[in-house]
Parts: sequence; C-alpha cells; structure tokens
Amino acid sequence: MSRQCKSCGGADIDTDPARGSAVCTACGSVLEDNIIVSEVQFVENSGGVSSAVGQFVSADGTSKAPVLGSGFHTSLGKESRAQTLQNGKRQIHNLGSQLQLNQHCLDTAFNFFKMVVSKHLTRGRKMTHVIAACLYLVCRTEGTPHMLLDLSDLLQVNVYILGKTFLLLARELCINAPAVDPCLYIPRFAHMLEFGEKTHEVSMTALRLLQRMKRDWMHTGRRPSGLCGAALLVAARMHEFRRTVKEVISVVKVCEATLRKRLTEFEETPTSALTIDEFMRVDLEKECDPPSFVAGQKKLKMQQLEQELAKKLEEYQGEINSYRDEIETQLAASSRTKLRGIYASYAKEDDDCVSLASGMTGDEELEDEEMEAAAQHLNQEFICQVFQQGDRGGMEDQEGSRDTVPLSSQATHVPLTALLGPLPSAASLGLTDSIRECITEEDTTNMEDKSKNGELDLDGIDEEEMEKYILNEIEVKAKTELWMKQNEEYLREQKEKEERIAKEKEQGTYKEKPKKPSKKREPILASTAGEAIEKMLEQKKISSKINYDVLRDLNSKGSGSNTTQQAEDVPAGGSGRKKLTRRKKQPNKSNLGLAKPARLMGKRLRPLISSTPKKKRTAAKPVTPNITMMLPPAAPEPPPAPTPPPVMEIGPVAYDEPAEEEEENEEEAEVSCISAMELIGGNETIEFMTTFRFTDYGCEAEEEEVF
Amino acid sequence: MEPSNDVALDIIITNVVSVFRTRCHLNLRTIGLEGSNVIYKPEMGKVLMKLRKPRITATIWSSGKIICTGATSEEEAKLGARRLARCLQKIGFKVRFSDFKVVNVLAVCSLPFQIRLIEFTKNNRPIASYEPELHPAASYRIKNLRSTVQVFSTGNITVTGKPLTQILNFQDFSACLHRAHTDYCISKNYSQII
Repeated sequence: MSRQCKSCGGADIDTDPARGSAVCTACGSVLEDNIIVSEVQFVENSGGVSSAVGQFVSADGTSKAPVLGSGFHTSLGKESRAQTLQNGKRQIHNLGSQLQLNQHCLDTAFNFFKMVVSKHLTRGRKMTHVIAACLYLVCRTEGTPHMLLDLSDLLQVNVYILGKTFLLLARELCINAPAVDPCLYIPRFAHMLEFGEKTHEVSMTALRLLQRMKRDWMHTGRRPSGLCGAALLVAARMHEFRRTVKEVISVVKVCEATLRKRLTEFEETPTSALTIDEFMRVDLEKECDPPSFVAGQKKLKMQQLEQELAKKLEEYQGEINSYRDEIETQLAASSRTKLRGIYASYAKEDDDCVSLASGMTGDEELEDEEMEAAAQHLNQEFICQVFQQGDRGGMEDQEGSRDTVPLSSQATHVPLTALLGPLPSAASLGLTDSIRECITEEDTTNMEDKSKNGELDLDGIDEEEMEKYILNEIEVKAKTELWMKQNEEYLREQKEKEERIAKEKEQGTYKEKPKKPSKKREPILASTAGEAIEKMLEQKKISSKINYDVLRDLNSKGSGSNTTQQAEDVPAGGSGRKKLTRRKKQPNKSNLGLAKPARLMGKRLRPLISSTPKKKRTAAKPVTPNITMMLPPAAPEPPPAPTPPPVMEIGPVAYDEPAEEEEENEEEAEVSCISAMELIGGNETIEFMTTFRFTDYGCEAEEEEVF
Repeated sequence: MEPSNDVALDIIITNVVSVFRTRCHLNLRTIGLEGSNVIYKPEMGKVLMKLRKPRITATIWSSGKIICTGATSEEEAKLGARRLARCLQKIGFKVRFSDFKVVNVLAVCSLPFQIRLIEFTKNNRPIASYEPELHPAASYRIKNLRSTVQVFSTGNITVTGKPLTQILNFQDFSACLHRAHTDYCISKNYSQII
C-alpha cells in the first residue's frame, strides 16, 4: 500500500494495525484513522476464562447468523437459493450415509449440486432425482462400487428415470464419467458372498475371468453386474465353494436368465475348455466375436438356408404345376367351345378396360407382372405349343388390341384366366385401380393448390379399400355393444363427474378450474365457540385423526361453565388457545401425555412456536408474537398464568410429533377461546390433574381449585 | 483400409413418423364405433387406427391432430396420411388435410465390423455417451443436425432424426466411425467375416 502523504508528499507511511491508524513518518500527519482491522480479540469471562470474540460463519451461502435469542422464527427466511442448497446438502448427507460414502465424496457431490443449481437444472425435476444423480456422478468419478441400481433401490425410483437425469447432468456439467468397469464390483460382491479367508483369492480369479471375458467381447453392451455375477460364480466353483445361482443373483441383482446366458456364452469361448491350472497360467491369444454378433451370423445363415430351400421347393412345385396344367389343358382342349365362352366373356371385360386405359403404361406393367408370375410356375414352351395349336382361331380377334404383348405370353395368359381362378379377379381389380388413377389424374394438377387450402387430395387413394375400413350398420351396433361393455366403468365415472359438475353449477359453487383452489378463507365469525368449531371444520379439510363425535359432545357439555373461566383465560389466551386446540384434536389419545412432565411441555411450547413452517407463518404470525410475549412472562412468573395452561396440557395430549402441533397452531387464529372447563368437562381425565406436579412453574395442587 | 472392404452399406429406413391436422373437431366415439380397425381409449383420449396398405398406425386426437407411424418411406407416409384423412371424411367429418410434416425418420444399417464401444466413447467424449447399465448401445448425438445415432457393439447402428438430414448425418458419422475402425486393429475381424 504505497501512498503519498498529502502534506509532504513522502512515500514512507507507517500503518499501525493495533491502533488502526496510518501516519506519515516524514511530517507526522495522520492519514488514516480507524482503519478496519482484522485481528482476533479476546474477552475475559466471569470465570476468568478468556474466549475469542466472534462467530463461526459457514463458508457457503449468505447464511444469516441466528442472532435472536428466542429462536429463528423472526428471521425473514433465508434467500431461496441458500435454502435450496441447505436442503440439498442435508439430503445428500442422508443418502450418502446410507450408501456409506466418505466425507470427501459427499462434499464433491454437494459441489456438483451447487453447479447444477446455478445452471438452473433443478427446475422441473424432483429434488431427490437430482440429488441421486449428483451422488451417482461422484460414485462414477471416484470409482466406488456403487451401481445406479443401488440408488434406485434406496429411493424406490425407476432406474431408467434416474439414468436419464444422470445422463443429462453429466452432459450439462461436461463431466466425463469413466465407463463402468465390472472389475470394480468384484470386491464388493465377493465380500457379500462370504468366502471367508479365501475372499481375496476368489476375487483374483474372478478378475482374471473378467479380463478374459472382456477380450472375448462379452462385456460390451452388457450390464457389468451380470458379468460380475457370472465370473464370481465360476471363480467360486473353481475354489470349491458352493454358491448357487440364486445366492449370486440376490447379491448381484440380475435375473437368473441373464446369469445363465452369460455362463453359456462363456462356455462357448475356447477359454472354457481349459482346466483351472491352465487358465491361471496361460492366456489364450485368440479373441472371440461378441455373442450377439455370432447369433446374428447364425441368423443370417439360417435365412440363407431357408431361401435356398424355398427356391428348391418352388422348382419342384413348378414342375408339378406344369404337369397339372398340362393335364388340365388337355381336358380343356377337348371342350374348346366352353373355354372360348369363358374367354370371350373375360375378353369382353378386358376389351373395355383395355380401350379405356390404352395409353397407360400401368396396364401393361400389371399384365407383365402377371405374366412373369405365371412363367415361373409354368413351363412356357410346352404350353405354348399346346395352345397355339388349340386356340389360334380365337386369338385373332385379340391380337390387334394386344400388340405389345407377345403371343406366347398371351397364350399363357388365356389358360391362366380360365384355370387359375384368383388371377383374373386380381387382374381386374388392378385394372380398375389404374383406371381410377387415370381418371383422377386430372386432380394431380391441382395438388399444390389443394395442399395449401388444406383440402384432401385424392390421388392414389383406393376408394374401395376405404370402404372396407368403415363398418356397416349392423357391425356398428355390435361394436357399440362390445365397447360399451368393455368401458363401462370409465363411462360411469364420467357420468358421475358430469352430474357433480352440473349440481355444483346449480348451487353456484362450481369452480371453473379446480386445479388451484384459492387458499384464502374468510375469518370465522361465530358467537359461540361451538359454532366456530363447526364453521372451521366445514372450511378446513377433514382430517382423519379427529373423532368428531367426541368433539360434538365436548361442545354440548362444556357450555355451562363458560363464564367462570373467562377471566382466567384472558391472560393466557394466546398460549391457551393453542393447547386447547391441541386438546380438542386429540381427545382419543388418552394417557399418552401423562408420563411427560410439565417441564417438557413448557419446553415444547417454545420449539412449537419457533419451528412453524413458512406457509403457516402468515396465519400464525399475528398469534405468535402474542405467544412469545405470553410465554416469557409465563415461564418465569408461574403463578398468575400457568394454571389454565398446565391443566389443559396434561391428559390426552401427546407430544409425539411436533408436526401435529404445528398444524394445530394454525387454527389458533380462527378458533375462539374455549374455556378449560368445557374441554375438561367432556373428558374423564380430571383425576390425573391432581397428581401432577409442576416444578418448573412452581405450581402446587392449586390446579384443583380450577374445578 | 483393406481394399476388400468395398461392401456397399445399405441404409434401410424402417420407420417414418409424421403429423398432420384435420382442422376440424373429431368425435372419437364415432370413429371408435364405426371404424373396423380402431382402438378407442377414452382414458387417454385418443383413437388408434391401423391401415393395412401402407402399414401405418395412426393416433387420432379429438382436436384433429393425427400422428402417423410405421411407414417405410416419406412418400408412403404421405400416402397413408391422405388415406386416413379420406377414411375420416367418409365417416362423415369435414376433414381437411393440412400441415403435413414428417417429424422423425428411423433408419438402420449394419456395418460389417464390430465396434469397441468404450474406446469409441472415450474418443468422442462429449458427443457420444455409453451407459451399459441403462442401454447396450452407445448414443452419439449430432447437435446441429439434431439426430442421434445408436451404435451397438455388433456393428448395427440406428439413426434417428429429421428427414433429409439423415443422409448427411450418416456421412458425417461414417467418417468418425472410420476413424474408430482403423484405430483399433479390427482388421482381423475381416478375416473372420469374409
């Protein structure tokens, strides 16, 4: 810090940290006074012990120090980011300790989490998933033997969902997690399989096996745990340990089928043929193909074989067909007139079709295809000869129209149409299709316009087939019945829902969007406590923990002694209310709170107030300041106030869950004060009051006087 | 590269997914009851309709949006979509065929050599990712073309992504695969295969 003195310009400045001043040594002018010093100061306590002044502040986040003595409730809440991080840290520690990760790993995981939060990747994702992914990321980078499956087991979440989150985080954070090596899992699984002293040896053998598997291409694309399991099983057997497949499965977390498959694959490698000693000594040079590749090759071979077989079959069939046709044509030749008749009728059809589509190539193509198909089956030459002799007369008419088609093939076409039944119909269908195409060709010019308009372009659409897709009336009826029966439940539900909505509409309480019901409730205005309770119950969601019958009884019995208690209730109104509500809520839990002394009860109050959750703070806020004011005076000055509160606490109240208490806290604002007598009157726990001693409050058996 | 490796690699398109809109509200119940090959799922609010000729399955929503899957080429997808619209027209809705768009194309290819996934992933670090616990293939994402290539250790690869970029994408990819191939003396595999 070289500065110049303002008065003399000298550069020699003496800074005294103790005094906190900077003085120029040349002229003596004081340049700075009250410099902020960073020195540790000590303070002496009453006992003579000196302690350092200051507070420990955590390194992360802007955590406000809990300054106020009465607790954290008055803090306006830390900023959201700090809270998220704190929450995340807690969850990481929870989960990490279950996985037995060391502190370093947990810290790294927390660092990852911080990065994730700063990149806004937690939005839209469940916190638990993100935490799990961070932890798994650490596991991968550190190389710990933890599987994603373990994490999903702990969280009861689908492993693929976790995997998705994990992959995304790894990509976004640009963290290259090294690939999973099955060798990492071996010590862990070996330990779980309990090999005793020989665990190390078995592990080494299993490792060697794994190396071998890797070289034999068995490990690519497979779950490492499956391979581990197979290797361990074999290693165990080699060292004369009997571990059944089931035991291994329960440790390794794969299914039996997988394990068996791995074993069979290993069997197929040449290594499996070695004896144990050989295996330990020798390493085979040759590598194998991956098993799925081998399987693929087998499939290909099978397919080829099948094809060849099929071809051969066709050939044979072709021969048979040819013989058959021969015979039939011979028969047909004898009754030539009949044939001509069929042919003529077909020819007529053909004629029409042909003339329409004369210019189109489609026709001929179709016919050619038919020809080719026929040719495969038939021995052309043979039949040509037969037919040319027979049908020459009838052909002449058609020759003109079928110029392009060779005679021989046409000749074959004729018997086909007569003999092979299905072909003609197929042919005619095809023809009609192509005809339609030709008719609708005009539409193709408008295609572009149509697509812009959004109108449907009918080019290439087979109308007839479309007809098939639509059922006729009878079918529709049948289907309707079936469908109705199948979906009865759902339809019923829908009906009920609609009825409900209609009702609500009539009543005028129908909410258009029931998704986010408004949480604002009107303050309850009631003349008596009973009314207030009823109204409150109506408004609030009904809890299953309340016995409503007893509640109603309470109201009816306690109304008489209202007046006497009111004066006493006023000072302790705030705290009383709380306890009253609690009492009201747990009328069934009798005798539970007995064992706990009053001291605890008093102390419980404080945490109750301080740990009210955020959302309820708004409701509790007006009340809590009252209570805090109430309590401190209440505690050190027992006589005036405490009698009502302790009385109410005793009997049926159970302090098992602070959560419950918090819940009830909310109601204080809404429920008016109910006298102690009312509540007590309804219960039979009066006798317990007498035995209670309140050492903290300095109470004696005065409570009995209450009654 | 060995000169004997002049095998032509066939990329076969196996699935084309497309969407279009009918611009009119559709009553799913009517379609469900009058169509002969439809499945109506009221809980999910959609109808599945399957066509035979171009083998496609269409998911029909009541808003008029239709997703067609199962076609083997883009033209076929369009044809199928139009057929479907025609069918709906016949049932009685005022269907208009608009906004036809091919959304996704899936193609497969079989390479004649195996691939060591771990080393492949290491070399193509941020782009490729391999998670054996989750999926047996390594996935290689090409960001600018927005497509994914899944590489299996047997040499089969599947390419998924937008249409028309498939070919470009495959060329890019084959370049990097080539690198992968020559790096890891897989030449001996040739002798096994060929």
